Amino acid sequence: MGLIGRRAAARPGRAVLATRLGRAVLAAWLVLPLVPLLLWAVADRWSAPAVLPQELGTDGLRDALAAGGPAALARSTALGAAVAVLATPLGALAARALVVHRVPRPGAVLAVLLSPLVLPPFAVALGLDVLLLRLRVPATAGVVLLLTVAALPYTTIVLRAALAAQDRGFEEEARTLGATPWQVLRGVQVPLLAPALAGAAFLAFLVGWSDYVVTLLVGGGRLVTLPLLIGSAASATGNEAQVAVLSLTAVLPPLALLALVGVPGRRARGGRR
Amino acid sequence: MSGELRLTGLTRVHGRGRPPALDGLDLAVPAGSCVAVLGPSGSGKSTVLRLTAGLDEPTRGSVHLDGRDLAGVPPERRGVAMVFQRPLLFPHLSARDNVAYADRVRGAPRRRARARAAEFLDLVGLAGLGDRAPRELSSGQEQRVALARALAAEPRVLLLDEPFSALDAPLREEMHELLVDLRARLAPTVLLVTHDPAEAAALADTVAVLEAGRLQQHGPVAELHARPASLSVSRLLGGRTEVPGQVRAGVHHSPLGALALPGPVADGPGVLVVRPEAVALAAGHADVTGTVVRVRYRGLRPLVTVDAGGVAVHAELTPGDDVVAGAVVGLRLPVAARHVVPVRPG
Repeated sequence: MGLIGRRAAARPGRAVLATRLGRAVLAAWLVLPLVPLLLWAVADRWSAPAVLPQELGTDGLRDALAAGGPAALARSTALGAAVAVLATPLGALAARALVVHRVPRPGAVLAVLLSPLVLPPFAVALGLDVLLLRLRVPATAGVVLLLTVAALPYTTIVLRAALAAQDRGFEEEARTLGATPWQVLRGVQVPLLAPALAGAAFLAFLVGWSDYVVTLLVGGGRLVTLPLLIGSAASATGNEAQVAVLSLTAVLPPLALLALVGVPGRRARGGRR
Repeated sequence: MSGELRLTGLTRVHGRGRPPALDGLDLAVPAGSCVAVLGPSGSGKSTVLRLTAGLDEPTRGSVHLDGRDLAGVPPERRGVAMVFQRPLLFPHLSARDNVAYADRVRGAPRRRARARAAEFLDLVGLAGLGDRAPRELSSGQEQRVALARALAAEPRVLLLDEPFSALDAPLREEMHELLVDLRARLAPTVLLVTHDPAEAAALADTVAVLEAGRLQQHGPVAELHARPASLSVSRLLGGRTEVPGQVRAGVHHSPLGALALPGPVADGPGVLVVRPEAVALAAGHADVTGTVVRVRYRGLRPLVTVDAGGVAVHAELTPGDDVVAGAVVGLRLPVAARHVVPVRPG
């Protein structure tokens, strides 16, 4: 903390107060919706007028386990991981082509890459479902394929920015020191890009992890992931506790992952002067 | 680890219709010598290094190292190493592992590569700092590590691209001393690019002056100072006095008067140049008399501009020569220091 920072801490100015207030509002905005979720997850009975649950218990957990929660969790994890594993290197290749190799009409190429963000996923999923069925692509492979395309804009944008900021001198220096292009990629570029790669992979994972529409339509209901399970549980009445437990299961792993991804990111940023 | 580098007709055009960044450069760097390529920014001097390193392809011409044509040889197999102006230490590796990088990519076991890296860090005066991350080093230390890293690659030619320009003056002096020591110990072949004539003089055996992609002159520093081939070479090396006139029978005639020249010079128009440090206050007979119009100091040395019949003569006097603006002084222009640059037609 510099001199200015210390002075501000000693006598908070208006700007500092405003910043703190803003942060508090933001934190409340993010955390408040989780509070009823947490309460519902442990509520065996919570009728309308009561402010807090009348009876606490583990019925929700029991119901969630019985409904196939663990298997759905495993499927969501696998789906998110598969999308991340495919979309991250593809995004890196696209980003490199856009930044380094000067593809013809990069604006048009970028627009095509970003188009999944613009098109309504429902329309894309319905249209492609027919195509994938005709091509006899297995349902699960179709889901992974479509979600990888949906994740590409995120990985491309993140990695394009990181690559554009990277000094090409590192690559050239490594080459003159005797490294082959492959050794430069493995020993220099990937480590330098590690924070951005982690961030891109995280976003791609989230696309697979949280998808509902594509998994439902293209997967044909056979690939039951957490969002599908939550959707079907929530459409029935009377099992709020189960829905709450499943929802928390869907929220907490990405948060844990985010904390993990954030650590190397901070370390790398600390390395810059 | 020192090879002989020969550049022949080296030309690089960056884009269609643009003037060549480098135009037909012929340059030989004998084994174990240090050649400086001196030029202003945009003169194409960095292009020389990039073409030598294989980072760019020449449009025409060739690079030979120990007699072998390097056309089509990728940078990693050329046996050259480069130090840039930015240290470019890999931020995810310690100083030691940066220096060990060349050995590691060539398949040396980690333990041996690190042991050698420690030796090279010792060589550049950084013994014991191997565990530091690049961000924990000062800018001078970073550039020392970069130098050690390049030397550890045991290149046949070491390419230095303005490696000390980003450092402040005292650090730059230190690095010059270090490089002179390293040359004495390892005798590497060095091709150095710089815009600083003092740096070229301090480090190189010969200096090649480049302007607008063309080689203007190549020779020992003393020769470039005493007998610049053109006004641009003279100016780049700090020459300031330029007296247009006519040469007749070995004498230069100008508003300064008739000044005899040291060697035979063809008759015709010519510009007389005299380096400021060669000009002195006249004790007795003065070659030129004029009025001091400006005095400034470099350290203790007065830098004096004298107006002699409408011509500005610049002199770097010895400490203690106290002159003031407005004074009339007599100057001595030693015959050996007089040099005439022919006026190019057009």
